[in-house]
Amino acid sequence: MSVKLKINGKEYKVDEHKDTPLLWVLRETLNLKGTKFGCGIGICGVCSVILNGEVIRSCITPLGEVENKNIITIEGIDKNHPVKRAWELAQVVQCGYCQPGQIVVAYNLLTKNPNPKREEIIQAFLGNLCRCGTYPRIIKAVELASKLMRGRA
Amino acid sequence: MMDRRDFLKFCGLSLAVVLTESGCTIAKTSQARSPILWIDLSEDNYLTIYSNKSEMGQGIHTGLAMIVADELDFPWERVRILPAPVNNAYADPLFGIHLTGGSTSVRNMYGVLRLAGATMRHMLLLAASQRLNIPLSSLKAELGYIYYTQGKIPYGELVKEATQLNIPQHAPLKKESQFIYIGKGVPRIDSEVKINGEAVFGIDAHINNAVYATVVRAPLYGAKVERIDKTKAKTVKGFLDAFPLGERDKVAIVAESMGTLMKAKDSLQIQWSRDTTSYLDDDKLKTYFLDALQREGEVAEIVGKPEKVIKDSYIKTSSIYVLPYLYHAHLEPLSCCVDVKKDRCIIYTPVQAQSSVLSVAKKVSGLPEEKIHISTTYLGGGFGRKANVEFVEEALIISKTLSKPVKLIYTREEDVKYAKFRPMCAALMEGAIDERGKVVALNCKIAIHSISISAKSSVEGIADTLYQIPNFRVEYVNVKMPFDTWFWRSVGHSHNAFIMETFIDQLAKLAKKDPVSLRLELLKDERAKRVISYCAEKAGWGKKPKRGEAMGIAYHFSFGSHCAQAVEVSVDKKGKIRVDRAVCVMDIGPLVVHPDLARQQVEGGIIMGLSAALKERVSFKGGGVSSLNFDTYNILRIDEIPQEIEVYFLKSNARMGGVGEPPLPPIAPAIANALFWGYDKKITSLPI
Repeated sequence: MSVKLKINGKEYKVDEHKDTPLLWVLRETLNLKGTKFGCGIGICGVCSVILNGEVIRSCITPLGEVENKNIITIEGIDKNHPVKRAWELAQVVQCGYCQPGQIVVAYNLLTKNPNPKREEIIQAFLGNLCRCGTYPRIIKAVELASKLMRGRA
Repeated sequence: MMDRRDFLKFCGLSLAVVLTESGCTIAKTSQARSPILWIDLSEDNYLTIYSNKSEMGQGIHTGLAMIVADELDFPWERVRILPAPVNNAYADPLFGIHLTGGSTSVRNMYGVLRLAGATMRHMLLLAASQRLNIPLSSLKAELGYIYYTQGKIPYGELVKEATQLNIPQHAPLKKESQFIYIGKGVPRIDSEVKINGEAVFGIDAHINNAVYATVVRAPLYGAKVERIDKTKAKTVKGFLDAFPLGERDKVAIVAESMGTLMKAKDSLQIQWSRDTTSYLDDDKLKTYFLDALQREGEVAEIVGKPEKVIKDSYIKTSSIYVLPYLYHAHLEPLSCCVDVKKDRCIIYTPVQAQSSVLSVAKKVSGLPEEKIHISTTYLGGGFGRKANVEFVEEALIISKTLSKPVKLIYTREEDVKYAKFRPMCAALMEGAIDERGKVVALNCKIAIHSISISAKSSVEGIADTLYQIPNFRVEYVNVKMPFDTWFWRSVGHSHNAFIMETFIDQLAKLAKKDPVSLRLELLKDERAKRVISYCAEKAGWGKKPKRGEAMGIAYHFSFGSHCAQAVEVSVDKKGKIRVDRAVCVMDIGPLVVHPDLARQQVEGGIIMGLSAALKERVSFKGGGVSSLNFDTYNILRIDEIPQEIEVYFLKSNARMGGVGEPPLPPIAPAIANALFWGYDKKITSLPI
């Protein structure tokens, strides 16, 4: 069965079952391995991608649901994007495993709300776990990215 | 991906750190027989370091590389670091095996890495001096160039000449004032690849034509596979096989892709035997450990006559503690990619214990060491968990059985069931005070499911406490269970600091003393006293809290470092506990190599410790684990962190201590102590 996908501005046709979770198609079929597997039940957030402007959990999203919709993964966010620059400046990462998911959430939040309050930032990241404890720096990096995007830093 | 043969094609000036009878030293790679790690400077002026330490988030790749680059005086943006291949010859000088753990990496490697960088710099200076016929004193090495009056030469251009020189006996080391990175910091070397999703973790490693495998473990400990019904699974296109592993207590499932593997797993019918251990149930477990406290154990420490003093004393107190099993909750589930062939074996794996991988690989493949190629990937969290390599052995067995490369990925549920938890324990603490309020006796008895290869860790942090108590006794009873326990960030200190530090506050209350004053009174160690005093000062001890409603403090010494933490806590109307502010003061010795990375470790340790204190417990029901995923095994989320974390490092002329683990143990008792004084709640079990 052929499924049409739009990922990071590119079109793909994949020959996969429509009930296969998007995560495995991204990782195995399309070799976009920045999106990670963590819990398989949509609760840890390491598999986060953006679907038509909303953050979704690709580990529980069947391929059939994303056909022809716009998907953005960590690989689709420009390397010089203020979010990524802020992540580097605030020295957020430790093991780094959850970070693609966190960055995807940050990117989507700032696209919709370029100047979020601390409470709004916390709200946006509630579904993304980090075991290394990078949470304080995630908040700092989003605040910094917001400033960079608005030309205030 | 690179394999080991490529690693050894050095292209420039290559030095190796080698272990001799008198300690570590530097040798040329061509002459090094048992290198611990290599440093290679290429002709186009890039520095590559091959690290024997696993990067699991602690920043060790940055740490090791910056020490070499500083002494070499080399631009940071031209430094690369790669994992060293695995061979028992590349063991850690202290452990004798290839292992990352115990907050030891910088401590063990600092001196020799400086020497390596300094040796290389000196050889380049000597080469330049010969080429230009200019005395050494007129040359200067700075940020990748040798400078002389008329010009400069990039290091790389001198590589060929430097390679001809002998290793200098006494390459001069920099003075502290000359450091360009050490004590200051550099950008993390692994940031960029991790931010862009390009870092290769165990789950990302791939070998061409690999099939996908996962392992399902018995739902109840002790159960065995009786029958595997593949009828339904065979209807899943891409399902390959399913067969028992180990002692038939687990089943390997293999398929062509992860999608089909997960479907096949769900449609496979495995019949397990019912002969299990029914006491594995939350309530029964608690009773089981409390009962074990009644048994006679082993005495780990005895000073004076604590039992008699406590018996005869009028002013005394006691508490019974019960602390749970904890799961590491590394976000990357156990995974690896392996290929066992007749003539060689290839392994990509995220582990802390490469020597253990090598030994299981030899066992499974039957091949000699030189035919086994192990590459360490990035670790998506380690926390001690990935020092156990049974999952690699499983992958190797599956690969050998099928004669195919295998990519093994654990599901979260099976990762939890694999059960290498932080030990559960129960403890009895008894203490006595004399008429003048002096603590005269302390008796601790702990019943604990000890880590089988590290029984000593059962009592660490209590038996070797720095508190001076004239009559003191520590006894432990080893509790057996049908699964093993394992190292969890800060190991025995993670439970023992809680027991000791909350009991100290109970003694303070009994003696009508301030908890800070009592600690200072019980300690002789000047470094310990200083971190506590400084922490109290910075936290505003004795004053109204800045953000919360009650304040608590705790102190602990572990992995060579002193750590005091004060917290401000508040409890809302629903009884939810918030830690509003945490102040951490550490003395890790004379130097903080990378202050911001050290700070990251403190933040991480506090947050992981806070998570355990407020939320974490492995639950059991009817003989097996019932908290199998993050919906039931809860870890701290972003809205639960302290609003403020303040970190201070005090310098001392002591040996360098560790930084990855010591910030974890004090946080839980500090919170419990705040609740004890501020809310009159005596906390003796976790999570709170």
